[in-house]
Amino acid sequence: MRIFKAFEISTSGLTAEKLRMDTISSNIANSGTTRTEDGGAYKRKIAIFKENLHKEVDSHSGIRRIVSKGVKVHSVIQDEETPMKVVYNPSHPDADNEGYVEMPNVNILNEMVDMIAATRAYEANVTALNASKAMFVKALEIGK
Amino acid sequence: MKISNDMTIQLLNKALDASVKRQGAISNNIANVNTQNYKANRVIFEEELKKAILPKNNAGLMTTKSKHMSLSQGIRDIKPRVVKDTHTTMGLDGNNVDIDVENANLAANQLLYNALVTQINNKYRVLQHVISEGKK
Repeated sequence: MRIFKAFEISTSGLTAEKLRMDTISSNIANSGTTRTEDGGAYKRKIAIFKENLHKEVDSHSGIRRIVSKGVKVHSVIQDEETPMKVVYNPSHPDADNEGYVEMPNVNILNEMVDMIAATRAYEANVTALNASKAMFVKALEIGK
Repeated sequence: MKISNDMTIQLLNKALDASVKRQGAISNNIANVNTQNYKANRVIFEEELKKAILPKNNAGLMTTKSKHMSLSQGIRDIKPRVVKDTHTTMGLDGNNVDIDVENANLAANQLLYNALVTQINNKYRVLQHVISEGKK
């Protein structure tokens, strides 16, 4: 039903921001990881968002149109651009012949800033959801 | 006067529809606040309404009977349109959603919706008053 579309859109925002939060948590948790499945140190993960567009056929006029249905996570990619940190630590088991260890390209400061952005966006979506809810409750008062 | 075809109720219905649509558009903008290259959705309704009710846009074609043709859209045909706001820029990622503006619009839209519901209720209360012959 159409009035619940606003709910679905806000929920998609909540889901997406939560996934972003998950990737940030993963980055922070792995900021010292030197071994991964792919070999080498952990690489920072980034969640890419995409507008969720849907093709719809109007039931009255039969016209096809594209409607927005919120946001979706396009993919979670690995950050290949930021250079890996290299630390001199010959006693580390993963050190190379010259004593250098490749550390993850995670910058904690960046992650904290992204985390704040994700939290605020999540809150904004909750506000929108509550506003829609208040509107539909008000609609029940029509004719009272 | 036909109760069900009343102009006020028709107009209020249209405005309520537009308000719900705008709520969807604002929710969509807020959900996409972190999406790269996303452009904000805006709902065009008031302008369309103005076009439909201003007599000067009738191009001089008066309608005196229901079967007469008119160049202007009737109230019945006005539909809120969703357009992309491609003229502004915010930040470096091609996204132009201003979260403060969206929040303000959200609050304004909610108040408008409440006002419309109150108005529609007042209208029905008047009808009720007439039906009960002014007893209540």
